[in-house]
Amino acid sequence: MALGVTGYVILAVLALTVVAFIAAKARAKSAAGGDVRLLHSLPNYYGYNAAMFTAVPALGVLVIWLMAQPMLIENAIFDRLPDHLIEDGFSRNLMMSDVRRVAEGLDVAVSAGAMTEERADRIRTEFSDVRSILGSVGVALGSDVRPEVLSAAQQYRKSSAIGMGWMTGVVLILAALGAFVSVFVSGADFRARNVVERFVLSMLIVAASLAILTTVGIVLSMLFESLNFFRMHPWTDFFFGGQWAPNFRGNSDLSILPLLWGTLYISIVALMVAIPIGLFAAIYLSEYAGPKVRAFAKPLLEILAGIPTIVYGLFALLTVGPFLVSIFGRGEAGLLGVDWMSGATAVLTAGLVMGIMLIPFVSSLSDDIINAVPQAMRDGSLGLGSTKSETIRQVVLPAALPGIVGAVLLAASRAIGETMIVVLGAGAIAKFSLNPLEAMTTITTRIVSQLTGDTDFASPETLVAFALGLTLFVLTLGLNVLALYIVRRYREQYE
Amino acid sequence: MNDMRILERDVDAKAIKIAARNVQVFYGDNHAIKDVDVDIEDKTVTAFIGPSGCGKSTFLRCLNRMNDTIDVCRVEGDIAIDGEDIYDKRVDPVQLRAKVGMVFQKPNPFPKSIYDNVAYGPRIHGLAQNKAELDEIVEHSLRSAAIWDEVKDRLSAPGTGLSGGQQQRLCIARAVATQPEVLLMDEPCSALDPIATAQVEELIDDLRQNFSVVIVTHSMQQAARVSQKTAFFHLGNLVEYGETGTIFTNPVDPRTESYITGRIG
Amino acid sequence: MTDATNADLPYSEPAGVKKGSLMTQDARTRKRNAAEKRFKAYGVIAISIGMLMLLVLVYNIISRGTGAFQQTFVTLDVELSAERLDKVGNRDINDLRKVSTFGYAPLLREAFEAKVAEHGIETDLSSKDMAGILSPSAPALLRNYVLSTPSVIGETIKFEFLASGRVDGYLKDRVTRDSIAEDKNISPAQLDFVDQLLEVGFVEKRFNMNFITGADSSDARPEAAGMGVSMLGSLFMMLVVLALALPIGVAASIYLEEFAPKNWITDIIEVNISNLAAVPSIVFGILGLAVFINYMHLPNSAPLVGGLVLTLMTLPTIIISTRASLKAVPPSIRDAALGVGASKMQSVFHHVLPLAAPGILTGTIIGLAQALGETAPLLLIGMVGFIASNPPDSIASGLLDPNSAMPAQIYEWAKRSDPAFYERAWGGIIILLGFLITMNTIAVILRRRFERRW
Repeated sequence: MALGVTGYVILAVLALTVVAFIAAKARAKSAAGGDVRLLHSLPNYYGYNAAMFTAVPALGVLVIWLMAQPMLIENAIFDRLPDHLIEDGFSRNLMMSDVRRVAEGLDVAVSAGAMTEERADRIRTEFSDVRSILGSVGVALGSDVRPEVLSAAQQYRKSSAIGMGWMTGVVLILAALGAFVSVFVSGADFRARNVVERFVLSMLIVAASLAILTTVGIVLSMLFESLNFFRMHPWTDFFFGGQWAPNFRGNSDLSILPLLWGTLYISIVALMVAIPIGLFAAIYLSEYAGPKVRAFAKPLLEILAGIPTIVYGLFALLTVGPFLVSIFGRGEAGLLGVDWMSGATAVLTAGLVMGIMLIPFVSSLSDDIINAVPQAMRDGSLGLGSTKSETIRQVVLPAALPGIVGAVLLAASRAIGETMIVVLGAGAIAKFSLNPLEAMTTITTRIVSQLTGDTDFASPETLVAFALGLTLFVLTLGLNVLALYIVRRYREQYE
Repeated sequence: MNDMRILERDVDAKAIKIAARNVQVFYGDNHAIKDVDVDIEDKTVTAFIGPSGCGKSTFLRCLNRMNDTIDVCRVEGDIAIDGEDIYDKRVDPVQLRAKVGMVFQKPNPFPKSIYDNVAYGPRIHGLAQNKAELDEIVEHSLRSAAIWDEVKDRLSAPGTGLSGGQQQRLCIARAVATQPEVLLMDEPCSALDPIATAQVEELIDDLRQNFSVVIVTHSMQQAARVSQKTAFFHLGNLVEYGETGTIFTNPVDPRTESYITGRIG
Repeated sequence: MTDATNADLPYSEPAGVKKGSLMTQDARTRKRNAAEKRFKAYGVIAISIGMLMLLVLVYNIISRGTGAFQQTFVTLDVELSAERLDKVGNRDINDLRKVSTFGYAPLLREAFEAKVAEHGIETDLSSKDMAGILSPSAPALLRNYVLSTPSVIGETIKFEFLASGRVDGYLKDRVTRDSIAEDKNISPAQLDFVDQLLEVGFVEKRFNMNFITGADSSDARPEAAGMGVSMLGSLFMMLVVLALALPIGVAASIYLEEFAPKNWITDIIEVNISNLAAVPSIVFGILGLAVFINYMHLPNSAPLVGGLVLTLMTLPTIIISTRASLKAVPPSIRDAALGVGASKMQSVFHHVLPLAAPGILTGTIIGLAQALGETAPLLLIGMVGFIASNPPDSIASGLLDPNSAMPAQIYEWAKRSDPAFYERAWGGIIILLGFLITMNTIAVILRRRFERRW
């Protein structure tokens, strides 16, 4: 029903917008006596101007109203809920979602004809089985409706209806006012184009600041929940404890250190695979390969970067893991006849596959960077009688070193933040171990496991994921900023 | 340093160091050097002059096979150093370039310390048995390049921090350090200011004592000042080759005369 | 410059100095050349390892995934006996509904008995075990058919049923008699029976359209699982991404490239965008969970939310590539427009933007392809762990109803215990990669066709 009202309001505003567009255009033309050359701007700009003033303030208010109204109503209703319900162990969120659900159910029941509007306002749990009535129209409730919840829901519906009425009025008046004023001012001397362009420019600015908004959103959303977490759980345990053992009955050990160790260990294995292969591939492609080999090999290598990580995850879990087990595991039946590896998930599994994924990342970044080393540097070295490899090792690579370090840092940040490969390939055991054939877990896998399935956003076991996420964000952001800074400095040096 | 110095120059015949016969160079389909025959003498400064794009730098790069690094470039004909064909299959360009050093148009010191820049050649060619010998080579090379007094207190400073003229002299020191027999210089002063140019020119004259120096230059004055022999290139052909004095005062070919007098360029 | 005239070498000629012939390589040069060859070989090895990995990956995907496009079917003549299905005999749909799925199971058993008798197949299996080679979905399929056309009751009709996942695996060599030693779902005798049916042509492996168009299924029925519904989920997400990321990304790029003054605010925005491009995708998932679901109360698991999250994730990519294509339009074009009296805004929208459009489009397609393959943020906003069984029936339901997405569906299958689902997962990857290859090819073609050198 709410959607219905909103829909009609939007339609009405849009209709007014069209009318304003046509009217303003016509008025401008007539003001110029039919000679559009006398106008300051093209006639369409007068139309755009009017349309803008009709639609934008009205729709803006509409959006803000729709977002603010439920929150205000919920706050008001929540204050009125009797305290004993909260003491019964219901969290605020659970409570409110119950209220919302019942209110929605009543809406559905009314629109399905199972109830009259009047009955929905008056119905009492003492006299009728609200749950079964709602159930009959397809709204399933988890438990019987408490009287307090029902009356709160009715209050909710009432406030919503009143709010909607006000909103309709305010929005339509705003739209009409905008239309009237903008059509009225559409004279020959009105600088319609400048106004429209200023508006477009402000829209462009809004779009550009969305990037900032996203970052702020990321930081704030994680910061608030992390603070909640640290209110429930000692920060000393999170940063300096030695155990990761979430326990949904409470009293968990939630330390990031074992996860950080797993993350770093896997990343190191991955970089040990990716750096030599990627770097040598880049050296070969930029210094030795002819144009044909380059045109063939470079895009092929880059395909590896375009493959979704879920594919690598599956590759780790179902191909590389079992392959490693057949070498290092299975006792007598294995290739080495040893029993060092018991399951497919292990640090080595995830590290190897992540390394493969990072090869093109390292190689194409290093390739760019090696190409940025001036040819004069190579000529100088070759002219002294050094071989190509001596030139590369002693002149080109040292010159490119800062850039390559930047590339490696970017790759490291990728490795630390990678999720799917470790979710499928690394395992779930948090521990400090040096054995690469054991399963270990990472920050990202724990974020996934703490935030999927049944989650209670009031328990430290769930909220810890936000603290983990924040740590991950800070870690990768630090690496990225550093890497981008180094690379930028490096490029400026040769420009 | 005035142009009249050429008249005082000793013009004794010297041993022939490089002999080029019938040299052709192609860049893909472009015939860049046509039928060049030239004999370059030992312990002499030979200047290659000519308008831009005439092929003088290309020919210079043939003399130590630097053209090998360009894929589309093809060289035909014979170039012999001390009677040995340098385009022979058995010749390792690396060994050749140790013998025929090169200094480039723009100073290109490595992003290393001044010391390491100079020591680079001796290190890769294994010229020093120990640190003391290497120190000696570095010092001698820097002295030969007339830059020792300016840098002796900051040998571990990066070579890229020097001024343009210093950088170019450092590059010359770097080339001298490998103890080449021939030193090729591709417009070594074009990126330098007049004072630095004068320093480098003076240095080139000194280097003649030990090496055969071949210098490509845009500046006729420079060729007249530093060289004993001059070769004039035009559109890929070697037009005229002879004593510098003769070329500048009494050229045989009308094209040479046009160039010298500034009618083509 | 007196020191330079000192011609005498201050040191004796070291042993290594080459005064010998150029025609012979001295020992040191030989050693150096060997080092050169080794170094070059490392490069070749590195490239080969990269290629080999790509090859192994592709081979793996194809060899393990193509099986999902084939499915084993069992052909049966089922007598839809009236006495079992319509005891009242009036063909009233409400009475027919009273017969549950279990009521249809005996029909299948009878059909098997008839088949065995007709073709003289010798087997010790009970008719219940014979029916065990069918997918558990077979009776439901029968019932749906009868309820949709009650007039067929009493007739004998030829049906093609999905074979169970184990039987399917047996025909695809995934299941062997050794591997089912501990398996309660199938016995070696049943496999013998499948062999016998195979001989008479009543069991066959065919192309499996259901895998492409169908919905996911429960753990017990891998043979019925398909990608179709999750494909729609991905489609709706991509629509959201396209509708939001393209206009916002282009608007932001135009501002930053054409209008923004060079000051610290612009600097911050730029640094911000390049950093956002490198933020781990899972962080965007946390943002989506916290903002869109917990704060704004948008529905869990909805493609709309997925699309919003992926939009935020794709924006930096689109902005970076759009700015590059705007930058590639030479300033002379802008000057020309300004010179005839166009406003700055007009010069951008009338001239610069159309010229940059192919580049923008290419960047957008690549950004979309990246978003299509992204999984991690979808896990956090709940697009896994349930079975989206019905395709959405309207655009609103497509955006708001819980659904999965292709990569999330693949992840879901990879986590299940039955290896039959692994085959589905690899098959899903083939479909996903098919989309990605198509999108990237379009991008490459666009770039080649419209690339302009100024």
